Amino acid sequence: MSPPKLRFGWLDALVLAVVFGLLGYVVYRAQSHFHYDWDWRLIPGYFIRYDAEQGDWVLNLLGQGFLATVRLALWGGVLAALIGGAMGVCRVTHVLFFRLLGWTYVGLIRNIPPLVFIFIFYFFISGQLLPLLDIENRIAEATPETLRVLAWLFGPVELLPNFLSGLICLALFEGAYVTEIVRAGIEAVPKGQWEAARALGLHAGQVMGEVVLPQAVQKMVPALAGQFIALIKDSSLISLISIQELTFTGTELAVSSGRVFEVWLTVAALYFLLCFGLARLFGWLERRLGRYRRR
Amino acid sequence: MSKTSVPNWRRWRPAFDSLIFLAVLAGLGWLVVEGADTLHYNWQWYRVPQYLYRFEDGVFYPGPLLRGLGVTLELTGWSLLLTVAFGLSAALLQRSTSWAGHAVARVYVEIVRNTPMLVQLYLVYFVLAPILDMDRFAAAVLALAIFEGAFAAEIFRAGIEAIPRGQWEAGRALGLSPYAVYRYVILPQAVRLMLPPLTGLAVSLIKHSALVSVIAVADLTTEGRNLIADTFMTFELWFTVAALYLALTVSLSLLVSWLEHRLPVHGAGRG
Repeated sequence: MSPPKLRFGWLDALVLAVVFGLLGYVVYRAQSHFHYDWDWRLIPGYFIRYDAEQGDWVLNLLGQGFLATVRLALWGGVLAALIGGAMGVCRVTHVLFFRLLGWTYVGLIRNIPPLVFIFIFYFFISGQLLPLLDIENRIAEATPETLRVLAWLFGPVELLPNFLSGLICLALFEGAYVTEIVRAGIEAVPKGQWEAARALGLHAGQVMGEVVLPQAVQKMVPALAGQFIALIKDSSLISLISIQELTFTGTELAVSSGRVFEVWLTVAALYFLLCFGLARLFGWLERRLGRYRRR
Repeated sequence: MSKTSVPNWRRWRPAFDSLIFLAVLAGLGWLVVEGADTLHYNWQWYRVPQYLYRFEDGVFYPGPLLRGLGVTLELTGWSLLLTVAFGLSAALLQRSTSWAGHAVARVYVEIVRNTPMLVQLYLVYFVLAPILDMDRFAAAVLALAIFEGAFAAEIFRAGIEAIPRGQWEAGRALGLSPYAVYRYVILPQAVRLMLPPLTGLAVSLIKHSALVSVIAVADLTTEGRNLIADTFMTFELWFTVAALYLALTVSLSLLVSWLEHRLPVHGAGRG
């Protein structure tokens, strides 16, 4: 159906009246009952500040948090794609064992609240996995160059174990959703493609790797882009196990500075800019690529 | 390999795979127990039931965990109502010819979909609630409904748009008002289509309701966290909490797939 032509009518008047009425009421309550005095001047200083000792500009809490969120999103996206890719193929193979494995993984993670999963998993990772990798000793022995590369890739080195445990949690969690996207993508490839590939004498690995997956990936891209944005949003959850990303630094700052309203509005705006910008970018890319494909 | 061995092998393959799968599960379970042992973890499963329920003189009293589950259900119920209200309004505004309606619905959906639920919860609880003098339960319901409402809007919009255009035209041609077309022609058909995604929504609402434990609403997760702080039975209680959520979400999904069989698609297969 073509989009209806927009007009200005009684509904507009009603909608505007309700919206401005609600906004006006909130502002009125904030001013007259709550007596909040807004002060936005401090906010830019929370991103970046001048450090007199080093004689240089350094990132402050919000800036560090934002960078950590971006790093988490990038590495989390890569890890989740690997886990989801492997598990997604497991979900559609003929081998019952792999199907059961993928089914359990997805079923468990998608039916438990993310928060509960993160809390449970955090005890395992911080208690078992990280001691196994022995990261702290490795860092202590690393050369300055390695440390600089690590700091560039994963953020402050002293927070690396903390960052990694959050990262693994996030990736395992998002991996379940990627699994379902991969499964749906593979199942969307027409059955004839499988049959034709088998008829040409390709073995199972070739059928999957050279015929089905390339077509499936094309179908998955829009959903994967959406899931990447969901990953950025879900990364805020791991602030609750003290991973120092944007939401965590926001909580710290709101408590320590007392500028609760300004800090939370700024944090929300940062997430919005990041996610909305990416959504727009992905949409634009999709249209561009779609035009290529049709040609 | 002889010719007859292939079908035989095929026949036993599922059982064989299931066995390996069980072995892997057992292995994972063993890893958990073994890992807990190295931490000198003291398993006390026998203490869990008293936190679920107790009997005194044959009278049943729910324990903290079941009370928390009740609060979770209450929270989910209220926010589901509000979610449907928000979602349906946003969907109808997006389909209306109103310019302001479009703009408001669009801004609402974009803001909610592009910020994390946790940050929205903090915004409602730390900014809106003190201004409007809301208690934490109301703030939790509002935050959950605002969040899920934006996703519900999409479900309603898709459900309404999936109804063939002829239905609209026929309704209008019969002299029904636009309201009557929605009420008697479109929505009854759309509801059937929307049932599966709406269950998904309810399941996701139950899952997201766990988040309100960060503002100390006494739901299942909060009760679990409090008990863990008191008793240090980390694994037992988290596993119990997760199992309760799992039971809730899985039974909801099953209920709806049963409902779908009961509610036939009116006019299906008749064009």
